[in-house]
Parts: sequence; structure tokens; C-alpha cells
Amino acid sequence: MTVEPLRLTVNGRPALVPDVPGNERLLDTLRWRLGMKGTKEGCRTGDCGACTVLVDGESTLSCLTLAREVEGSSVTTVEVGDEDEVVARVRAAFSAAGALQCGYCTPGFVMAVAGLLRERGTSARREEILEALGGNLCRCTGYVAIVRAVDALRAEPK
Amino acid sequence: MSARVPPIRPDGDLKLRGAAVYGTDLDVPGMLWGALVPAPVAHGRIRSIDLTAARALPGVIAIGPDEVDGLLPAGSRDEERPLFARDLVVYRNQPVAAVAAPSFGLAARAAAAVRVTVDALPIVADLESVFPEWPGSEAGTSSHVAAHVRARHGDLETEFKKADRVVREVYRTASVHQVALEPHACVGEVRDGVWYVRTSTQTPFGVREDLASLLGVPESAIVVEGTWVGGGFGGKGAPLLEPYALLLARATGRPVRLALGYRDEFRLGRTTLPAVVRMETAVTDGRIRGRRVRLLLDVGTSLPGRDFATGYSIGFLLGPYSTPSFEVEGYAVRTNKPPFGPHRAPFAPQCAFVVESHLDHVAREVGEDPEVFRSRHLWKEGDTTPLGQKVGPFGLPKAFERAVETARRWRHAAPPGHGVGVAGGFWSTSTGAGGEVRLRLTPDAVVVEQAEREIGSGSVLVGLPAVAARSLGLPVDRIRVTSPDTAHAPFDSGVFGSRTVGALGQAIIEASGRLRGILGERLGSPGPASFEIAADRLVAVAGPRRATVPELWTPEEAAAGGLLVGGRHFGRGGTIDEGRVVDGTFYPYTDFTGAAHVAQVAVDRETGAVRVERYAAFHDVGTVIDLASARAQVEGGVAMGLGTALTEEAIWSDDGRLENAGLLDYRIPTLGEIPSIEVEFLEGFLGAGPFGAKGLGEPPMVPVPAAVAIAVREASGAHVTELPLSAERVARALKLL
Repeated sequence: MTVEPLRLTVNGRPALVPDVPGNERLLDTLRWRLGMKGTKEGCRTGDCGACTVLVDGESTLSCLTLAREVEGSSVTTVEVGDEDEVVARVRAAFSAAGALQCGYCTPGFVMAVAGLLRERGTSARREEILEALGGNLCRCTGYVAIVRAVDALRAEPK
Repeated sequence: MSARVPPIRPDGDLKLRGAAVYGTDLDVPGMLWGALVPAPVAHGRIRSIDLTAARALPGVIAIGPDEVDGLLPAGSRDEERPLFARDLVVYRNQPVAAVAAPSFGLAARAAAAVRVTVDALPIVADLESVFPEWPGSEAGTSSHVAAHVRARHGDLETEFKKADRVVREVYRTASVHQVALEPHACVGEVRDGVWYVRTSTQTPFGVREDLASLLGVPESAIVVEGTWVGGGFGGKGAPLLEPYALLLARATGRPVRLALGYRDEFRLGRTTLPAVVRMETAVTDGRIRGRRVRLLLDVGTSLPGRDFATGYSIGFLLGPYSTPSFEVEGYAVRTNKPPFGPHRAPFAPQCAFVVESHLDHVAREVGEDPEVFRSRHLWKEGDTTPLGQKVGPFGLPKAFERAVETARRWRHAAPPGHGVGVAGGFWSTSTGAGGEVRLRLTPDAVVVEQAEREIGSGSVLVGLPAVAARSLGLPVDRIRVTSPDTAHAPFDSGVFGSRTVGALGQAIIEASGRLRGILGERLGSPGPASFEIAADRLVAVAGPRRATVPELWTPEEAAAGGLLVGGRHFGRGGTIDEGRVVDGTFYPYTDFTGAAHVAQVAVDRETGAVRVERYAAFHDVGTVIDLASARAQVEGGVAMGLGTALTEEAIWSDDGRLENAGLLDYRIPTLGEIPSIEVEFLEGFLGAGPFGAKGLGEPPMVPVPAAVAIAVREASGAHVTELPLSAERVARALKLL
């Protein structure tokens, strides 16, 4: 039996991925079929946030999302270039604040913050943003520098 | 667009674009996927391991204990640490077999298809079931004891007899996991007689040495190449998956990838295990006159004679306070859990929790101000520790003073029902077995060639360049760091014990001096050369003469692409008074690193839940090498310490099962739970590292649980003698439950 290739747009480019079974996670399709290892595998149970990507602009845990569920969608990962201005701004803020150490949670944080900015803009209340990031775990930074980066983003002119 | 701000970290851009390759990202052409077959019970006799069903799956290779001899050289393996349990299983999930398959899914199915039949035996789940009463002297020879240490000094009996007051307490601390977000992962390959492993590790040379012993293969035939490390915290030191990946690679003739799912990361990872500490303190005229300290430390299935934890940890129960007499005794107790493993500042935060909470309690019992009482007894430079080591430059008294001033200010402003706690703690920069670097002088930069990979702290990619820049007199952007594999890098012990910048930094300083000397000589000067930059090139200057680098190369150096100069550092530890040691091994410190913290908490009077509202950390670091990284170490260490203090507890069941093997049930702090953290560095109390620096990777963990516990007591009256201070434990102490 043949299945149709999976149609996705990944970081702005169309992708046709053959042989994707119905039970495959988006995380595994990205990492092992498309070779895009920037999205990190942490817990595979939705508890750590390291695998966060954007699906049609919305922050999504790729370990709890079946690739076939997002057929036809636009997926944005940490590998996206600086033509994605929101992601570029988040990267610049994280870099300036030193908001990373080992870097393993970093792709998930970058995408989660980018998703929030896209959804709510910089006018969202600080508490809302911080609460929304509660599902992204970081063991190195104590989150302090990450919060500094978020504050810097909120202070930017719109 | 935001204005361009220079990055704080040189690896930032790579990591922010998802371009750093970690162990979990390893993807080698032709590789197979491996999986381990776990023992189904915590203790038992293996009746059979049936690989038939696994081998019937397409493309699957399965190996068990019977295959090992045919795959590895005979005779030189560490027989006490067989790769697979052969007859006896001693902890749940101990590997009994392994499989390799063409896909991840098939490997998982194959591992599940292996039939393991084990006759279960009674288990030792808990150290207190071994010693419900405090063990007598005969216990030292018990098969349940992996190590016994004992030391004493002074006339303890008389001091206790004539004391105004003797205070006795028992403390318990929980098993905690490192929770590096990247689980263990590696790819092994055996090619032309070379055993080659790419792995996410804190200690490439340590892995090589241990693999040689586990596999019976000479070190010269093993190559370890590090990847980016997604957090270590002690959990990625000793090899875990590497021997199995290599064994499977040998069996299949293909590269084999082995990675742990996060639940297995909890189950198989080497962690800090539970402990019980008894504290007795004799006080006369407001002075501590005697201390009796006893420790039962669960070391899981650590091997007898190979326990380092007990003798090292117990020192942290004796300090940082003076006493004219003491007795300390510790037992490493074997239970049916995985072997004990290091966790950022192994066991020191737990020790500080016990010591600070206990002495806070003692002060209250004798009617003294707890902070005044503790600061009166703090070690100062020139004092002698209970084990007889002379205290070197030590900033703890100053840090404690700053913490107390801060606490007084905060108390003044804190609303009723909130509490402020102060706690001290100490650590020492480890030297390991020493380390070496090579400096390669190229036309436009100096390359630091060394063995370690960056694990996140910045020690390798920020600390080492900062030291090299300062010792060579070059801007930091003229320094590059490379981490070749163990076949090409000079030896180093590893990234652990807060030692990286200390040991490799000193090696860099030695090499820098040598390099400048050689260049000075080649320029005909009796003194060392210095550097300038001209036309984007390095220029060596000595006296009136100057030359670019290629002009100074010998023909051999030109052919090799640079002038290579080595430097090495083997740290000197202090000495303890061996006359005070009765049994076992105790360890001296290289230097004395102090930290004092202040926590302000609110305690929910109905649920016992603790919220940390405000935090300050005062750190004795000798010399700050890089301020942003130093601050980041303290912030991250405090947050990790708050996990140990409040929520983190690996719960082992009566049948040896880890009950909360997952990030939902084993709770590390989340973003909203971390308060603002003020950080202050106290410089000038010089340590053993470059320019007098002291290690900073681990100290920020040390005082945290103690500061929180003391703040909880001040806020609510709850004197909690167990870690973590979960809502349930606080509620019990408040008699709400």
C-alpha cells in the first residue's frame, strides 16, 4: 500500500516527505526524515518544551503532534533564517542577554517566545508571557537571563 | 530592528540557529539504532535470557551475556563490572542484553521481545532498613557497606559531659537527579581495530579510560570524540551507554546509535541517593565545644572500595565551623539501586542544609541569635579545619557578613508572615588528575587546543579564551578554542569539580609564558615578547624588534601550520592531619571557596507551600574571569538549588522502582518559580586558579536549601529536617497534617 507523501511548508519552503506513517511525530519527521536536528528531543512527553516549533504561527509541541495532523501547514523551526523578523528579533534579544548556556532548551524557547510575540505582540502583560513560558524547562540559566531577554523584547518600539 | 548588541556567548549564534550538534543529534550514514534490555526486578537470579523472538525480527542483532566473550578481547576486563548482568541482577533496569535494528521503532520492539526470566530475591530498598538503629562497629565489615570512614580529634567525651547543652537531631535528604535536558546519547563504531565513540560527555579522557577497563581494550585503541553537551551537572562523566554502543557496533559491523528516552534517563542515570545524618552538638558558654556527626549515605550498587562520595562528602558536614573536638563517622550503604553518581557539588548542598539548619537550631536552643552564633564559629583564613587542614584565603566570613546585612534590611521591609534566612556553605575547586593544553600560534590568532567540550557553563568557550587573552596580552577575539578527539587532544581530566578554568587556565598561563619566551628569544631579546595587531595580523614585539608570526616560524612550523607550545597543570591539594583519621579515606581541599545566600520566603499557612520571593548570593571567587558568565553560573546554580530545596525528590519504591521517572512527576523549577536573584562577588581571597580564581560551577548550589529552610522556619516556625521542603513536609512540621 502506498501513502501519499506528506505536504508541508517548512521555514517557507515546500516539502514533500514520502513514507510518513500515520503515527509518526512531527518531531521525528523534522529530525530524521528532513534531517533538521535544530528542533531538540527532550522528554517526548510534552513536559519540557525543547521541541517547540510554530505550526501556522502557533507555538506547538512537535513531540505531541502527529506529522499527518499538520498536513498542508506551515511549520517554522529554529533553523529559519533572519527573513523571519520575529524569530530574528528573539534571537538578537537572547544573544544580547546571554539567555542560553548549554543551548539544549534554546530552540524551544526561541520558538515559544516567537509564537507569543506573533500571537500577542509586545503589549502582552509580562505575567502572561512568563506564565505562557512555564512549559519550557531550562536547567542551566535559572531562567533569569531568559526573562531579561523577554523584558528587552517587550521594551522594543513596536 | 533592535540595535546590534555584542553577544555575551561565542556559541550563542550557533545554538540560537539550531546548528549545534548534540549527542542526541548524531546521525551517521549506515548507522543502526540500539536499545538496552532492562532487568525486570531490582534483585534476582537470572534463569534465562531468550533472544530468539528479538532475533526473528528483520535486521535485528541481539546480544546478551553469552555473546560478550566472543566480541571482546579475553582476560583484561573489569570482572566486577560486567556489561550485562549474567547471574545476578542488582538493580532494576540493569542492562541484561542489547539489540540493534535498522530503525528506532524496530529496536524498541526487539528489546521488548527479549524474554528475561529472573527468580526475584528480597531487596534492600532503603538504607534505613539495613540499619534501623545506628550501626555498631561491626557494621564496617557488612556486605551492605561499601565504605566506612571515621575520624576524631580532641576530648569529645569530656566536652559532651561538661557541656551546658547538648543538642541532638536527625536529618534526611532525598535522592536528586541532574536533569540535564539532553538525555544521554552516543554513536559507537568499530573500524580497523579502532573503537570510536562520539558522545555527549563531560570527560572524554575519563570515558576512554573507563571504556578500556569495561571492554578490556587498550586505551590506545579507543577514540572518544565529544559533541556539544546539552547540560552535564555531573551526570555525563562516567560512561553509561558508550560501552554498549561499541559492543553493538562490534557485533554488527555498523555504527550504532544509543540514546536514552527521558524516563530511562531518570531510571538509569547515576544520581545522588538518599541520606540520613545525625548531628550532636555540645555548647558551653556560647561556644561549640564538640560535634558528633554521623552519616548513612545510600550509594546504591556502587562497588565496595570504589566509593569516593562518603569520604569527600563528610567533610562538608564538618565545616565551615570550628570545634575543638569532634567525631565523624560515615557509612556508604549499598542498596538495590543504580550506583551513586555525582550531582553538581555532590552532596554539599545537602550537607550545608544539615549543618546550617542544625546550628541555627542549636543557637535557638541556647537562646542566641542564630546568625551571630554561626558567624562566631566560621572558619577564617589561618584556622585549622577539624581534619587538620590549614584554611587558606577564604571569603566566607565576609560573604556571611554581607548576607546578614542584607537579611536585616529585607526583614525590615518584609510583610508579616514572611521569613528571611541566611546560610553559608563552602566548596573547593577540584584538580582531578591534572590537565594539559597546547597553544598553536597562527598568523592571526592563538588557538587553544584542549580536550573538553563546552557543557554550557561557558568554562571552555568563555573562560579559557579570557585567560588566554589576559596572559598573552591579546584581545579575546584573537583566541580560538578547539576540542579535538582523544587521539589528538592533550590529556585533561574532565569538566567537573568546578575545575575547568582553574586547571586548564593555569596550563594556559604556563604555555603563554613559554610561548612569549620562545618568541622573545627568536627576536633576540632576553625577555618575553608581547603582541600587537597590525593589518589584522599578530605581530610579536620584543625590545626594538618586531615580526609577524610567519617570519618567526621555523620551516617545520610553517609546514605544520603553526608554532605549538604546551602547558600543563597538576593542582596541589592541601594536607589533612592523618593522625585524626581512624578509618577510611578523607580528602583535603585545594582551596576554600565560600558562599553565603539570603532567601526571603512566604509560607502558605494552609497548604505548607513555600514561595521564594527574593534571593541574594554573595560569592567568594578569588578573581572574576568573566563577569557575565560568573553571574550566569550563580543564577543557574541558585535555581537548581531551589529545586533541591523545594521539589526535587526521586522516589524509590519498596521494590526498587523509580516511581517518578518523568519531568511531570519529578519537578524541577519552572520559569515563574524563580525569584529575582541579586549576585555579588567578593574578590581578593585568592584561590588555586588563574589570577587567583576559584571554581564557580558548583558553589552556587551549596547554600540554597539551607537558606530556604532557615527562611521557612523564620516565616512559619516550621523546623523541617528533611529535604526537599515540599508543601507536605512543611505542613507536617506545622501540624496541619
